[in-house]
Amino acid sequence: MTALFAAQGVTKRFGGLTALQAVDFELESGIASIIGPNGAGKTTLFNIFTGLYPADAGSIVFRGRPLLGLRPDQITTLGICRTFQNIRLFANMTVIENVLVGMNARIALGLWDVLSHGPRFCRTESELSTRAVALLDRVGLQANANDVARNLPYGDQRRLELARALASEPALLLLDEPTAGMTQAEAGALMRLLRELVVDLGLAIVLIEHNMRVVMEVSDRVTVLDHGEKIAEGRPREVQSNARVIEAYLGTRGSGPRRARRA
Amino acid sequence: MDFQLLVDIFPQVFLDGIILGFMYALIALGYTMVYGVLEFINFAHSEIFIVGAFVGVELLLGLKSVGLLDGLPWPLVLVLALVAGMAASGLLAVTVERVAYRPLRHAPRLIPLISAIGISFFLQDLIRLFESLWRNAFNLVYPTIDVLNVRFELTQTLDVSVKSLVVIAAALLMLWALHVIVNRTKIGTAIRAVAEDQAAASLMGINVNRIISLTFLIGGAMGGAAGVLFGVQYGLINPYTGFIPGLKAFTAAVLGGIGNIPGAMVGGLVLGLLEAFAASYLSLLTGGAFGAEYKDIFAFSMLIVILIFRPKGLLGEIVRERA
Amino acid sequence: MSPYSVLALAAVALSSLAVATAPRSVLAFLAFQGALLFVYLARIPTWLRVGLLGVALLLLMPLIGAFNGYYLEVATQVGIFAALALGLNIVVGLAGLLDLGYVAFFAVGAYTWAIFGSPHANVIFGGGFPLAGAWFFAFLFVGLFVAAVAGILLGLPVLRLHGDYLAIVTLGFGEVIRVLANNLDKPINLTNGPKGITPISRPPAPLGLPYGEYFYFLVLLIVVLVVLVNRRLENSHIGRAWEAIREDELAARAMGVPLVRMKLLAFACGASFAGVMGVLFSAKQVFINPESFTFLESIGVLAMVILGGMGSIPGAVLGATVVTVLNLQVLKGLSLWLNELKNAGVTVLGYSLADLPTQFEPAKYERMIFGIILVLMMIFRPQGILPARRRQRELAHLER
Repeated sequence: MTALFAAQGVTKRFGGLTALQAVDFELESGIASIIGPNGAGKTTLFNIFTGLYPADAGSIVFRGRPLLGLRPDQITTLGICRTFQNIRLFANMTVIENVLVGMNARIALGLWDVLSHGPRFCRTESELSTRAVALLDRVGLQANANDVARNLPYGDQRRLELARALASEPALLLLDEPTAGMTQAEAGALMRLLRELVVDLGLAIVLIEHNMRVVMEVSDRVTVLDHGEKIAEGRPREVQSNARVIEAYLGTRGSGPRRARRA
Repeated sequence: MDFQLLVDIFPQVFLDGIILGFMYALIALGYTMVYGVLEFINFAHSEIFIVGAFVGVELLLGLKSVGLLDGLPWPLVLVLALVAGMAASGLLAVTVERVAYRPLRHAPRLIPLISAIGISFFLQDLIRLFESLWRNAFNLVYPTIDVLNVRFELTQTLDVSVKSLVVIAAALLMLWALHVIVNRTKIGTAIRAVAEDQAAASLMGINVNRIISLTFLIGGAMGGAAGVLFGVQYGLINPYTGFIPGLKAFTAAVLGGIGNIPGAMVGGLVLGLLEAFAASYLSLLTGGAFGAEYKDIFAFSMLIVILIFRPKGLLGEIVRERA
Repeated sequence: MSPYSVLALAAVALSSLAVATAPRSVLAFLAFQGALLFVYLARIPTWLRVGLLGVALLLLMPLIGAFNGYYLEVATQVGIFAALALGLNIVVGLAGLLDLGYVAFFAVGAYTWAIFGSPHANVIFGGGFPLAGAWFFAFLFVGLFVAAVAGILLGLPVLRLHGDYLAIVTLGFGEVIRVLANNLDKPINLTNGPKGITPISRPPAPLGLPYGEYFYFLVLLIVVLVVLVNRRLENSHIGRAWEAIREDELAARAMGVPLVRMKLLAFACGASFAGVMGVLFSAKQVFINPESFTFLESIGVLAMVILGGMGSIPGAVLGATVVTVLNLQVLKGLSLWLNELKNAGVTVLGYSLADLPTQFEPAKYERMIFGIILVLMMIFRPQGILPARRRQRELAHLER
């Protein structure tokens, strides 16, 4: 059986700089983490997975369908959705509207349905509302449904981004540093939520994470990138003790992995 | 089709194109310098340009009314008009930036653009208001200086007026002076530094606001000089005359790669020549079906095509898209 | 009854009375318009609001028109510009695409009917024209369709452009359309050039209704439809997708918003409103020429949207009203008043107004008005007079 998501030999160059060099990445289920120092190419990989950048070489297959060359919205419709490292909410829209935009790929209404305001439209809109509230409930934001997204505190904005991504009913969720700026307690709560999602919805999740405690606790598998190349892959414990990772990623051997240096 | 005619008018059309091109180049500098520093289209630059033309004509008419227009040596008269036009346009540009753009510097991109469009419209009617009250007329004609209208017949098919030569010489002088300022002086270095990275420049002790004002001053002054030369060359001006040349000069700036100073000069010349040839040859080549009136469409279509297919222009862009 | 309800009733009644007693007074008519705005904004029961606005627009306004036809003309113009502002509001306010050549679509609609609804089409097709006035209604849809196609044709090439470059290209597009209208009298005479096209057929008026009243009602009907369409679009996944594109194009794409389709849809919807109004405009005016479709008009409509508040439907209507009234009534009124004072030989502080230059006419300074509106709004109130309020979704039935 083929994997849910399989990327092979993904290569990306920006001018003379090789951001990714023949990276392979596979995922069947559960939570995988991608770690690596800043500039290792983690976010670039996400951007290629979601169709925001074209790849220079390689192939990506998701549920048996090739992804390279598809537009971002087509990829989202197929069932991959993501969050952004530097939170990109629709700042002047309300919390629930943000989530509703996330459902765009699943709405089968045409222009005529909207203009005629027929029963199909009204039923769909009310279903969307119900689902959106349920999602907000899941991430603990239902009380803020009608607040403008811009006014949410930082941690809530991250959780809203997660809810927005979940709204597209993905089978694969790509989270770019979801715990950045969170306290250890908040990060822990978020990880429990991710575990729940994996169990409840059968979601596969890829994390880009700098918080090593989170990575080690939650990941089924860890992939390490450095300078655009995959240097290690395996169970958290294996990676943790991999000499090459410790050298490339942490520089020196310390008292166990701590937070990576951040610019 | 009369091929001989096409060949015969070529030199004259070429010269007209060069003159027009220098006008566009001078105006385009204002757009491109401001874009280089702020990544913002100073939509009101067309009015800053035409204000130069009005100040020039007022000065000449003033001299004429006291009998000095023919009394003073003509180069001095021209220099006076140019200096007055440049000072007025430069100061106006600085004022406009202070009042209408600076408060909006950190607003979303479209906000200052809309403000600039507002300033453009406001200035058009402000000039009209002023001239209506002052002269009871707002279509003004540059007074003639006889020496400037002397024409030399260079060849059978090409004659050149003194004013054309003066316009070309003055434009070249301006462009050279700008080149020196931007590339050889401390001020120029500071301007380039601010264009590159405002935050870093301010950390290096550069007063960013002052440099931005200075950029508007220099760009505005170039526009003012172009205004005076425009008036000398073409004669008739009104408050709304600036709009179309302004739009075309912006096209020239984009053509040369917006933000790129040599690019603006090249873009101006290319556009001027293309337009002159389109205006003269379109009618001949289509047997009169399409005439010179399509030269504007020609320029606008070119703008659209460049922006769509080669938004970095001919010489490339020196500024990056704001994230 | 709340004090607001009493006030609203009184305002409408008194201002109507004022217009009835002094039909020539600009101030009385402005008071009437102010009363309508008050009714719209005041905290009164919905039935009263709808009732009062209905009575005022359907009954009082045509009556006022019977006293003073010019006011009906003003109201009709307000309606036309309100529809244009609502169309531009979709493109600029919702989707965040600054279109500086919007009036081109108005021109496309206007010329569509003008050519076929006048003898001018005989020049092109030989004979059989003008089409009968009844065709006008079919051409409302033709104009809608043709303008929407023009919107898509403009949209396709500019999709890759962002922000200010997009603005400049649409400006260029608007100018191209105007120059074409001015010059396509040869090699084939499509537009009759600067001379324009006349006479353009009008739809037959029912019940012997005077044309002023008839076009007022037609415009009112279309504006109501346009508002309805606008609201439905705004409160749907389409409207949310547009706003998402405006807020963050990249994130919108990543969330599954099909960028190309949504941007084209925005251009097409905005253009179609202008196309419909263009058809109506050409029939109402009987004569059109390129002068009605200049860059100035595009900026005028933009000023309406900005003044009212980008993305706000009541804002667009209010903006259209204020700007049109400023142009048609306040500036013209000032001109007339100044002339009267001049002719009466009035002196101000020892200066005889008769000495004022003849070129000084307030009515000619609409650009200054637009300019001041745009700059002041951007600096002091970029969200507009009636900012778009975030829709509060009714979630009560879901809360436990």
